[in-house]
Order: sequence, then structure tokens, then C-alpha cells
Amino acid sequence: MKLLYASAVLTLIALALMVWSLLVPTPLPVMLAMTAGQAIGTCAFAAYGYVVVRDLLRVWRAKRDSR
Amino acid sequence: MPTDPLIVGSLCFAGASAVLILWFLIFRPQLTRATKIVLLFGIGVLPISTATTGNYAGFEATKARRFCGSCHVMTPYAQDSGDPASTTLAARHGRNAMFGEENCYACHADYGMFGTVKTKLGGLRHVYLYVTEYRNTPLAEARETIHIRTPFKNATCMHCHSTQNPDWNAVKEHASLVDRVRDGSVSCASEGCHGPAHPFSKRPWGAP
Repeated sequence: MKLLYASAVLTLIALALMVWSLLVPTPLPVMLAMTAGQAIGTCAFAAYGYVVVRDLLRVWRAKRDSR
Repeated sequence: MPTDPLIVGSLCFAGASAVLILWFLIFRPQLTRATKIVLLFGIGVLPISTATTGNYAGFEATKARRFCGSCHVMTPYAQDSGDPASTTLAARHGRNAMFGEENCYACHADYGMFGTVKTKLGGLRHVYLYVTEYRNTPLAEARETIHIRTPFKNATCMHCHSTQNPDWNAVKEHASLVDRVRDGSVSCASEGCHGPAHPFSKRPWGAP
């Protein structure tokens, strides 16, 4: 779950960068949103995917072992 | 407040995503199927939608004159370009309803298959140079020292002014120079023709 919380916080940071670029469309915010913002958002989504897949595998293994 | 539907949509996606994430962080629910689906939207679908629409809005924003003028060394160029009383080539194009607020981009962009990519890479170079060299340059000094990197291409003018139009050829200076205009040996933006484009225009680097 810690990884999922980290993922959620990272997504908020990425969103903040993207929103900043939308409200203040000058070079620094736009470039930050398109680079750091998207990299952070991608990492966050990858972390979410990892947690969910790991949880699904855990459930699947538990079901298999109980049979 | 932004009124562009794309920006408003992007902000809505971001807001909805933030609400879902904050709900997760504040209430810390168990990782059930419902939580996973909520987070799929909060961490995946909605931020990706924000990034997609935001990227498009960002690329559009880079075409705006206020974007170009946001680096202080470009302020005088942007101000002249938007000055309704100015008679420079840039200002006259700034008053053109076809691209008014995007006149910097319309005239300085590369065209052709990879034109947009080349233009964006050139823009990154500008940002790099601004951050590393010109960020603290006084405006008076910048106005005297900053030059266009390469000679302005007539092809950019001919993107709109094709040189095929009979009205264009009816101008005797055009008719006499049409071949030299097309091959670029006479610049449309040269003094005595339609230039200089800006009040502070100088010869490009390395030009005689």
C-alpha cells in the first residue's frame, strides 16, 4: 500500500505541473509539464499497475493453493 | 480564467483526478476491486486525459505571441508586433486576422513535412540559450546583440504569398525580381523591399 500512496502523491505532483502549464503558458511551465510532469505521471501509473498486478497475482495464487 | 474548451476540459480532468486521489489519501480504503477501479481513473485514465489535452494546449500555447514575448529579450519584438500603430512588417502581419496573435510562429516556423518538429527543436535551442546565456542580459544590450540565427527564408513568405498571383506580379518590383525572390538571392524582408521586419532587426550571424 505504501507504493500506492506514493503513486497517488506522485500523480498529484504531475497534475500540479500540468495545471501550472495550462494556467501560465510560458516556456518554463510548459516544458516542465511536458517533461517532468509526464515522466512523474508515467512512473506513478507504472507503480499503480505494479501494485494492482501483484495484488491480482496474490489473489490468483491464494485461490489456486486453496483448491 | 481560461475559456478555451481544451484547457477547460484538461482542468476538469485534472480536478476530477485530484478529487479521487485525495479521497484515497484521506480515507485510506482497503484495496478492493472498487478501490482499484477508482484509482485506475484517478491515477490512470484522468491524468492521461489531462496530459493529452494539456499537451495539445501546450503546443498551441507555444504559437502565441505572448509565449514568445515571455522571455524578456523578446519583449520589444512582441510589443512592436502587437502595436496597432506600428508599420513594421511584423506588426502588419500581427494585424492579419488569419494568424494575428500567432504571427511570430507564422513567420518564424519551418514548413514542410518535418517543419513543426524542426520549429519545436529550434524553440528548445532558444530556451537553452536563454537560460545559459541571455537570462541576465540587460534589455538594451540584448536589443543590440541578438540576431536572427540564419537568414530569413523567402520560402516562409511564399508559404502565403506564392508569387503566382497576378496581383502580386502586377507590382513592377515583384515582376522584375521574381526569379531572385524565388531562389532567395533577394530577401523579401530586406531594407528597401518589405523590411526590416522589426525595428531592431539586424543582419543574421555571419552574414556579410
